[in-house]
Amino acid sequence: MNDLINELYQEIILDHGREPRNFGECDPHNKSADGHNPLCGDNLKLTFLLNKDDIIEDIKFTGEGCAISLASASLMTEKLKGKKIDIAEEIFNDFTNLVSGTSEDLKVLSEEDSLYALKGVGGFPMRVKCATMAWHAFKSALKS
Amino acid sequence: MDKSKFLNQNIRNDFPILSKKILEKNNLIYFDTAASSQKPNTVINETNDFYQNHYSNVSRGVHTLSVESTFRYEDARKKVQKFINAKSENEIIFTKSATEGINLIAQTFYEKYMQKGDEVILSLMEHHSNLIPWFFLRDKYGVVIKFAKINQYGEIDYNHFESLFTDKTKIVSLTHLSNVFGTELDKKAIKICNDKKVPILLDGCQSAAHLKIDVQQLECDFFVFSGHKTYGPAGIGVLYGVEELLSEMPPYQGGGGMIGEVSLEGASYADLPAKYEAGTPPLVEAHGLGVAIDYMNNIGIEKIIAHETELTKYAFNKLNELDFVEMHGGENNRNSIISFNLKNVHSHEVSSFLDVEGIAIRAGHHCCQPLMKHLGVNSTARLSFGIYNTVDEVDKFIEALHKCKEFFNK
Repeated sequence: MNDLINELYQEIILDHGREPRNFGECDPHNKSADGHNPLCGDNLKLTFLLNKDDIIEDIKFTGEGCAISLASASLMTEKLKGKKIDIAEEIFNDFTNLVSGTSEDLKVLSEEDSLYALKGVGGFPMRVKCATMAWHAFKSALKS
Repeated sequence: MDKSKFLNQNIRNDFPILSKKILEKNNLIYFDTAASSQKPNTVINETNDFYQNHYSNVSRGVHTLSVESTFRYEDARKKVQKFINAKSENEIIFTKSATEGINLIAQTFYEKYMQKGDEVILSLMEHHSNLIPWFFLRDKYGVVIKFAKINQYGEIDYNHFESLFTDKTKIVSLTHLSNVFGTELDKKAIKICNDKKVPILLDGCQSAAHLKIDVQQLECDFFVFSGHKTYGPAGIGVLYGVEELLSEMPPYQGGGGMIGEVSLEGASYADLPAKYEAGTPPLVEAHGLGVAIDYMNNIGIEKIIAHETELTKYAFNKLNELDFVEMHGGENNRNSIISFNLKNVHSHEVSSFLDVEGIAIRAGHHCCQPLMKHLGVNSTARLSFGIYNTVDEVDKFIEALHKCKEFFNK
């Protein structure tokens, strides 16, 4: 089997793609946004509850998409739950750098993070949008 | 399988890109011709030659290069005219794309012949290029759009189609060959329009390089296609329209080249076809398209059709045998295009997996989101063939698909 494919579809990605965690809608929530990849039709809805201390108390998503977009959304919710907004934004920056192939100067993510499994997306430039769709939804939800 | 129907494989030597290795080791198998076809040597070389030896602007100067450029540009128009058997060169308008052609018709046809509340008929399986230009008319001017239903074989429900006509129906626009199902529009759709005296536009993006096009025999009023899907360069499209309509409709864009006389008070417009060609046209690309047409004619359109039909049939049957594959559309009336899904595997995964094996297929909604919704899928994988594809390539693809299924279902 090709290394690039094994790198892209690590077991954890396939697992989260098949059985996304935190799938659903937060009730209650005070932040939400839709993510959409117009090039392929994949879409998701992200909701989360931000408390008065700027901590993400709960975060969930629904939607349909490929294994990469679902796994990325699923792993994102796992990572961001319980995080303060400023840390979450740093994670966002690290993650977008990671999947677009500029992973040298990561501030908060490390190889131990499960999100690191998505690094293989860098080998498939056309799939970067799949991996970042949920993250951009998160960014725009912050502004909602 | 009737091997006598296949084109000689030497044809592959005409396409330099086919010797490219993907990831430095896999031979390229290009199954994405419906998105854009690859270019033969003649098109690449002639395009270079134009820039190196003949280039200037067209229809403007009187110097040698201007004459040479203009000759090539207008010669391309003649080639297109013959290729689709239009009555006159005046009926061939060069655009930048088929999409621009549809926008041109939508805007100028509305201006001349339509008003608020008038109706346009499309089908559920149009791609975005044949939807959005009409949506603009709906949003801006209150035009009503009606959509003909399609059946499970990817064909228009012609009874439903006919029932949509009213005395407010002003124009119909349909795909000549579906970019998702590969189905050809039945001539009866055109007959219905002709009987009701409603002009019909055929979107020939997928048909121009894969069917014999004769606009007079088709009896369509408008026909658009793009150069890049017919072995020519990107950036050139063709709009055919019957002279009577094109003469009556107003110009689309204003600028140089489309005028008769200009004063500060106003302008008169040039005759066809220049009336619709404001600005410096994609002249080298037009020439490249002419060369591509020569190339196809030299092979023979009938031979191209036979090759692709046989290959499509072969691939369809191979895919249809696989219990882990879900096919879209029927077996018959299918030309060069096959859409399918692997059960429980998103088309993106299929495409990425095949990509590293050197196989290029399209994954996604094919610019047909309303159709995807109708099919109840988020996206499909699509194979599409050109003259350079072979049975051997289909076999390698099927083999890779088995591996793909095993990988994602482990």
